[in-house]
Amino acid sequence: MGGLLTVLAPLSYLNDRVLRVGLGIGAVAVALMVIAILIQVFFRYVLNNALPWPDEAARFSMLWMAGLMAPTAFRQGGFVAIDMLVLMLPRVVGGLINLTLLLISLVVLVVAVQIGWNEVTGFGGRFATASLYLPTSFDFSTWYRIPRSWMMTSLLVGVTLLTSVNIELILRNIVKILGGDPRLAPIPPADMGGAE
Amino acid sequence: MLIWFLPVFLAFLFIGLPVFFGLLAAPGILLWLNGQEKDITLLYRNVYNGMDSFPLMAIPFFMLAGELMNKGGITMRLVEFSQAFMGHLRGGLAYVNVLSSMLFAGLSGSAVADTSALGSMLIPAMEKQGYTRKFAAAITAASSVIGPIIPPSGIMIIYAYVMGESVAALFLAGIVPGILVGVGLMLVVRFMADKYDFPVASRKYTWPERGQASIKAFWPLLTPVIIMGGILGGIFTPTEAAAVAVAYALFIGFFVLRTLTVPEVPGILIRSGITSAVVLLLVGAALAFKTVVSLSHAPEQLAAYILSLSSNPLVLLFLINLLLFVVGMFLDAGPAIIILGPILGPIFVSLGVDPIHFAIIMSVNLTVGLATPPMGLVLFVASAVSGERVEAIAKAILPFLAVEIFVIFLITYVPAISMTIPRITGFAN
Repeated sequence: MGGLLTVLAPLSYLNDRVLRVGLGIGAVAVALMVIAILIQVFFRYVLNNALPWPDEAARFSMLWMAGLMAPTAFRQGGFVAIDMLVLMLPRVVGGLINLTLLLISLVVLVVAVQIGWNEVTGFGGRFATASLYLPTSFDFSTWYRIPRSWMMTSLLVGVTLLTSVNIELILRNIVKILGGDPRLAPIPPADMGGAE
Repeated sequence: MLIWFLPVFLAFLFIGLPVFFGLLAAPGILLWLNGQEKDITLLYRNVYNGMDSFPLMAIPFFMLAGELMNKGGITMRLVEFSQAFMGHLRGGLAYVNVLSSMLFAGLSGSAVADTSALGSMLIPAMEKQGYTRKFAAAITAASSVIGPIIPPSGIMIIYAYVMGESVAALFLAGIVPGILVGVGLMLVVRFMADKYDFPVASRKYTWPERGQASIKAFWPLLTPVIIMGGILGGIFTPTEAAAVAVAYALFIGFFVLRTLTVPEVPGILIRSGITSAVVLLLVGAALAFKTVVSLSHAPEQLAAYILSLSSNPLVLLFLINLLLFVVGMFLDAGPAIIILGPILGPIFVSLGVDPIHFAIIMSVNLTVGLATPPMGLVLFVASAVSGERVEAIAKAILPFLAVEIFVIFLITYVPAISMTIPRITGFAN
């Protein structure tokens, strides 16, 4: 148990800090999405000028919002599941089923990280976005066309963070099965709704 | 072998695997066992492509707009408006609860937000007037399901995206069913008010007082007009209308009502961002799942099985309503739509049911499922807000559920209820 807690403590600390930064960036991404679409509406209907970039910029922000914020929901138990069976069973049996579920999730995530890496570094990632540019000089005379891989990295980062959270949850679950629940630092439950 | 992905998926769900992982694990494992490892990459690509969507952006925007309106004290004005018109009736606060939910539905489209916003205000007020806490919590939970039926609606955006339907058509089709649910609940209140001698909430307001309450509620009530008017007038797409709703909520929160503060905004952005992130991942996974559904020929086999039960679409719609109701008892509406839409939708469309009509049947049924025991989401929210046990609320909600079930069958067998407005406006054939 002591060894498990020793491994768990730095991982929990890391996840806590990284996900907190992720939430901050995600909140900025939400604001940027709104601003981009409002600019699109304003230019199209007021100035009669359909800008090419707001749609893609908003999608860029949305993908990063999802990649950076979903792992927090997973860590706080905010992923939708029918957990009636696990809650009905005795603690140890329920814990073992939970562990199995987390291991299945881990397999999904590890495969996703591998595919995600291949996608970002592969053929698809070499294309450029249709309309997103970054200025590369102070006088805005030169621009760098943002590669598509920057957008695709959002999901890779998302599944990587989910993997890290999943490993933390597996370790916490083992500690709980062994009766070490009181020695675990609590994770606040998710304060979220749903599409409903 | 691929046909087995559906039972494997259901087994995963039953033992408690999060829906997101189940949607990927079940088809992934079977593709691997089938020697189709390369197609597993397609699953990943479909998740990404499914999330990379402009129409889907309406979900975070509507959530954000709802959160901003809620924090901005708009709920209070809606309740005051409802009280001015219905508070003097016997059972006044129960009517106010239902009418406020109908008005709130035009702003937020979320049953959870409705229950927590209206519940925290109306349940204590109802208790103070002599209603039992379980009744107050039950009417709050029952009326909150109107939220995702009257537009805007998060689950209808999901359905439209996953099934390739028009968001505007679904929004329009939800208006009358939502009003019907509200009227049905008010009829139950009317019956119970006489039977149990419910109190009146206030004296009868004079028309000038009602006018004053209407002026106070004018700004919030303008939101659905802007959203639907903008969409129907061809000014905005639903996503743009949602972004405009966010800007409007910020405007009235900061400058008109002056109830919103800058320090509250980051928390609101984070809360709506986290919720939206989970929904986006789920929708992405659903599109990956949908690909394997079509590869496996499961819908054809399932269709053959369903048609073997009866060839009469009316009987099949009855059976499917039962199935949806049972599913709704255990699963939230969004994930249930994501899972069942791609499987059931094509079957009933091939039987001659209009896709918009089927979408409304499914959405309303699964939304009512949010208030059904044992796993109804809004029952738990109502319990948290009121401090009443879920079991007690689940029992008290039964008369309201009976009416909501009646409305589901009414919507099912009278397509005109949902189809008339989309047809008149040219959004459906």
